[in-house]
Amino acid sequence: MSNINRRTLVQGSLAMMAGAAFSRSAFADAEPILLGVSGPLTGPNAQYGTQWKQGFDLALDEITAAGGIDGRKLAYQFEDSQSDPRQSVAIAQKFVSDPKIVLELGDFSSPASMAASPIYQRGGLVQFGFTNSHPDFTKGGDFMWSTSVSQADEQPLLARYAVKSLGLKKLAVLHLNTDWGRTSRDYFNNAAKEYGAEIVVTEGYIAEERDFRSTLVRVRDANPDGLVLISYYSDGALIARQARQVGLKQVICAASSVYSPKFLELGGEAVEDVHVGTRYFPEDPRPEVQKFIAGFKKKYNGLEPDAFNAYSYDAMNMAAAVIRIGGTDRRAIRDAFAKVKDVPSVIFGTATFDVATRRVKGAMNAELVVRKGQFALWDGKPT
Amino acid sequence: MAEANAPLLSLRGLTRRFGGLTAVDGIDLDLAKGGLVSIIGPNGAGKTTLFNLVTGLDRPDAGEVRFEGQDITGLSPERLAAQGIARTFQLGRVFGNLSVMDNVLIGAHTRLRAVKPAVPVIGPLLELGLALLRPASVKAEEERLRDDVKAIVARFGERLLPRIDQPAYSLSYANRRRVEIARALALKPRLLLLDEPTAGMNPSETAEMQALVAELKTEGLTILLIEHKLEMVMQLSDRVIVMDEGKKIAEGPGEQVRTDPKVIEAYLGHGLSGAAEQENAA
Amino acid sequence: MSSWLDYTINGLIVGNVYALVAVGLALIFGVSRLINFAQGSIYLVGAYIGWVAVVQLHTPLPLTIILVAVVAALVGLIIERFGLRPLQNSVRIAPLLATIGISFVLDQLVMLTFSPNPRALPSQLPDVRFQVGGGTIGPLDLLIAGVGITSALLLFVFLRYSKLGWAVRAASQDRDAAMQMGVDVNRVNQAVFGIAAALGGVSGMLVGMYYNQIDTAMSLQATLKGVVAEVVGGAGNVPGAVVGSLLLGLVESYGVAVFGTSYRNLFAFLLLVVVLVLRPNGLFASARQAPPEPLTGTFIAPSRPLRIPCWALSAAVAVFAILPLLPVSFYVLQTLINAWLLGMLALSLTLVAGTIGQVSLGHAALLAIGAYTSALLSLTLNLPVGLAIIAGGLMSAALGTILISPSFRLRGHYVSIATLAIGEIVSLVILNWESVTRGPIGISGIPPLSLFGYDLISPASIYWFAFAVMVVLALLQARLLSSHLGRSFRAIRDDDIAARAYGLSLNRYKSLAFIFGGFAAGVSGGIAAHLYSYINHETFNTQQSILALTVVILGGLGNVVGAIVGAVALVGLPEVFRIAAEYRILIYGIVLLLLVRFRPQGLLGTI
Repeated sequence: MSNINRRTLVQGSLAMMAGAAFSRSAFADAEPILLGVSGPLTGPNAQYGTQWKQGFDLALDEITAAGGIDGRKLAYQFEDSQSDPRQSVAIAQKFVSDPKIVLELGDFSSPASMAASPIYQRGGLVQFGFTNSHPDFTKGGDFMWSTSVSQADEQPLLARYAVKSLGLKKLAVLHLNTDWGRTSRDYFNNAAKEYGAEIVVTEGYIAEERDFRSTLVRVRDANPDGLVLISYYSDGALIARQARQVGLKQVICAASSVYSPKFLELGGEAVEDVHVGTRYFPEDPRPEVQKFIAGFKKKYNGLEPDAFNAYSYDAMNMAAAVIRIGGTDRRAIRDAFAKVKDVPSVIFGTATFDVATRRVKGAMNAELVVRKGQFALWDGKPT
Repeated sequence: MAEANAPLLSLRGLTRRFGGLTAVDGIDLDLAKGGLVSIIGPNGAGKTTLFNLVTGLDRPDAGEVRFEGQDITGLSPERLAAQGIARTFQLGRVFGNLSVMDNVLIGAHTRLRAVKPAVPVIGPLLELGLALLRPASVKAEEERLRDDVKAIVARFGERLLPRIDQPAYSLSYANRRRVEIARALALKPRLLLLDEPTAGMNPSETAEMQALVAELKTEGLTILLIEHKLEMVMQLSDRVIVMDEGKKIAEGPGEQVRTDPKVIEAYLGHGLSGAAEQENAA
Repeated sequence: MSSWLDYTINGLIVGNVYALVAVGLALIFGVSRLINFAQGSIYLVGAYIGWVAVVQLHTPLPLTIILVAVVAALVGLIIERFGLRPLQNSVRIAPLLATIGISFVLDQLVMLTFSPNPRALPSQLPDVRFQVGGGTIGPLDLLIAGVGITSALLLFVFLRYSKLGWAVRAASQDRDAAMQMGVDVNRVNQAVFGIAAALGGVSGMLVGMYYNQIDTAMSLQATLKGVVAEVVGGAGNVPGAVVGSLLLGLVESYGVAVFGTSYRNLFAFLLLVVVLVLRPNGLFASARQAPPEPLTGTFIAPSRPLRIPCWALSAAVAVFAILPLLPVSFYVLQTLINAWLLGMLALSLTLVAGTIGQVSLGHAALLAIGAYTSALLSLTLNLPVGLAIIAGGLMSAALGTILISPSFRLRGHYVSIATLAIGEIVSLVILNWESVTRGPIGISGIPPLSLFGYDLISPASIYWFAFAVMVVLALLQARLLSSHLGRSFRAIRDDDIAARAYGLSLNRYKSLAFIFGGFAAGVSGGIAAHLYSYINHETFNTQQSILALTVVILGGLGNVVGAIVGAVALVGLPEVFRIAAEYRILIYGIVLLLLVRFRPQGLLGTI
């Protein structure tokens, strides 16, 4: 049940295990620098916590291989919050009162993350929320920082793809009815209108929804020339399948959050020709992208990374960069967020915080399309 | 207002159907103040359904119920209790997890005044407030009722008094029946309906119960009694009504009814179920 | 106009999917008078067995169906034999809780085996589609309809004409009489659970293929919709369950048509509440029946509660009161703050579920009402936080009582289902009533707790505040229970018919219980809102309601001290046993099952 708490001690993150496993390594004497992670490993959002870990572990392998941070290993302690605010606040107190924790990452959902913010703020521990797109997250205080792509940045890119590049003029927008989906929808709609498109219908659906047939009748009756999905990959795949099943042949354009091999697996033929605005793509020549994808496939038996893997990979690299500047003092780390410059990033190319918003601007943009069951860079041909 | 010699309870053409079955079929009945009328009849004759109709737990399809001359047909059981109608249940419906004391105190619920001011709309909220604050008047009332309950329970002698703080589920079957009757008495009823008060009791317990009912009658209580034990019925009743298949088949003084051929046939036709059963029980 | 045809067809298609779960639930309810919350888990197991068969074993469709049916039936038989049969002579609430526990265990086992990531379950049918109206239907739609209708028909014929079916019907009408007539009730139960589980497993697999997607979260949703459909059709009525499912599908589809997608579930749950209020036995129950025997009396375990001496309680309060002065970490304090907040909710629920017997599964709604009221009053009217929290409690008492009042005339399991629906409705209204609640964006920047102008921001001060409020509420509740209201509430719980015959108005006293309990829950929600600084419609969800009920049962229904002990245990013990990691919910389910089996009256006993 939901309010039970637990700690997962991830490989190499526990001092004891580290002591045993790495006693003969270069890190023999030094305790690892410990980060706290608060996120879901069980409950309805468990899959996202699992993806975080994959990204974290890859980044940590690379950081360790590069000699760690001043001769010390970087490690994390993952506490399962189930994305429940009751658990995330307890975890926050735990991290704040544990002097070994120098920085906190997470939580996943806005209620869980923002409920814990006052505790991190008062306790003087940076809460580094790398999937927190809620516009008010970083307003919680000067210890709240986020590399989550602001939807104010991302959605206009998607709108440009849909309206300018694909030439769609009448759009139907389907969005997850969460804080993320709602915020994204508003930014998208405004941007799309500025580009000259008309939003003919918007429909919000709850995360548990599986049947979209009646929603799609509403969409059909509004007679759009394109569908925009502000969805995660599982619901995005469901909508695409059902849209094709009920005979909707319009162009489908989806937000970057569907960017996952699971989207292709779950959607099958129905997601062929779906357009996705993303922050990176497999053939992206940028070295940080190639290093990430190659490393990920190698570590996880050929598995393709998805958006959440990339977010957590970037977040861990950012954490390392910040600690290199700020050391292990919590306040110095907070100050280091303002100083860190041009950290290589899959999502941003190079990431630098805007000190006023405590967010990173300038996400990369890639316009992809699903071709023959694979994500590929859009070649400019109409579909 | 009712005339002085008008019956306390009168039923006219009371009818209740369940699907194709007419459980109570056009029953007329008059019960004078201070009187005791018994209803007998084989199992399934509709006696308990008749009680349910009188006490508001079920609504008649036709006919009327008058209490003190006023039409009370179809009123809710809560309102009827407030008018002074108390009953016991055939299968025994004590509150299992409540102590004997609390069970009987529930019987006195309609007598609560200090803690239940008769104020419209906000009355319930006042009740909540008074229950929490407990001014002296409320405490005094509760004390008075508790003394009352002890007096009532004492009528059953040493059977119940030592167990007054035990939960009802821990009592013997006979003691649960006693708790039911004590609960009914705590209401200070003007009309008492007893549904087989001696069911499951041995002869000596039955005799005690019979003495108690007789005592209540002497005290002037008006009683409607369902009972299978014919001896008890004959000795206590002013009048006996015999029901079969929902209909009243005979009415009159005990001895007259007992020899009525229709009554004998009804019992024989049903394999002497009622009478035979209680012979076995005895 | 043609759109309406499409909405109708879509409604029927979805209803068709719901029917598969509802039929199994109806069959079990018909015989055992039990709402089997584990049916959704069997559905989940079926889906994953189907995945193994299709993706790894490459079995052809008929073999896949047989394989899934057999494995699921086995799971059903095991549940019946080891989970439910030992509880036959136990209190009525025990099997219900046991099915909840079993569902945790099964869901968790599937999650541990297959990981929480969704998987694709490809359909094994040819991908041809027929044009119907503006949309299309495929062979899977027909197969699902075929399985649903055929199984309903087969069950009907089986119940009507076979010897075992005759026994099943006899057992469902009068279990004791059937046993006396020589019906082997255990065998009947086995047959019913086996059939229902096979059906549940196959339906999970078919629905997985239908959406080409299976994941571990599908269990709860399937149970919820199945229960709604079943109860709408009349619990225990197999053909009724099919009609109820189709009706549910239609209502949802038309709801989407008229108001939009985000109102869909609102209509599903409103349908349920309306049906329960107008026709408590479902749409297809005969109109007027003899007054039923109360479920109460057997619903609450007879027990002798553990009496804790006054000095021991005072000492415990004193120890917890001085705890922040001792060298304990903020983390311990925060965990206990959570326990005190849950304790207030449990006090509320133990009053309404334990003392007066309205087993509410929607109690988190009261938290939400209190939290939103307090947050909005302090933000928009600048009301001092202390007053805002009290206002939140009062609003929760008033509004909560009004909202839950339709359930007052219901009994037993129907109360739980109605309150579950009412809880969902509150959450969906919060999601959709954007002008007031800010919808999914939620309310952020809620001011911190403060009292007489002093902000309470140190963990110790928050701890003292929450602890003091909880102790005051507990003392008030203890005082309430010792008054005439205490015995009146308990009398209504034990036997509402006898209670009415002695002048106790059910509406009046159930309202009073919810007013008092609503206040405590609202205060808890209000404090949480100021503690978290951000809330949205997901902050107070159904899982909170289920957790609160578990706390209350763990502590002992109606037991004030038990509610607090239960809250501390369910918040604290998992912290102590953190090493359990992945297996904690599994352990939680098993503990719940053991508790139901060996101490149905709770740790401290029912009062």
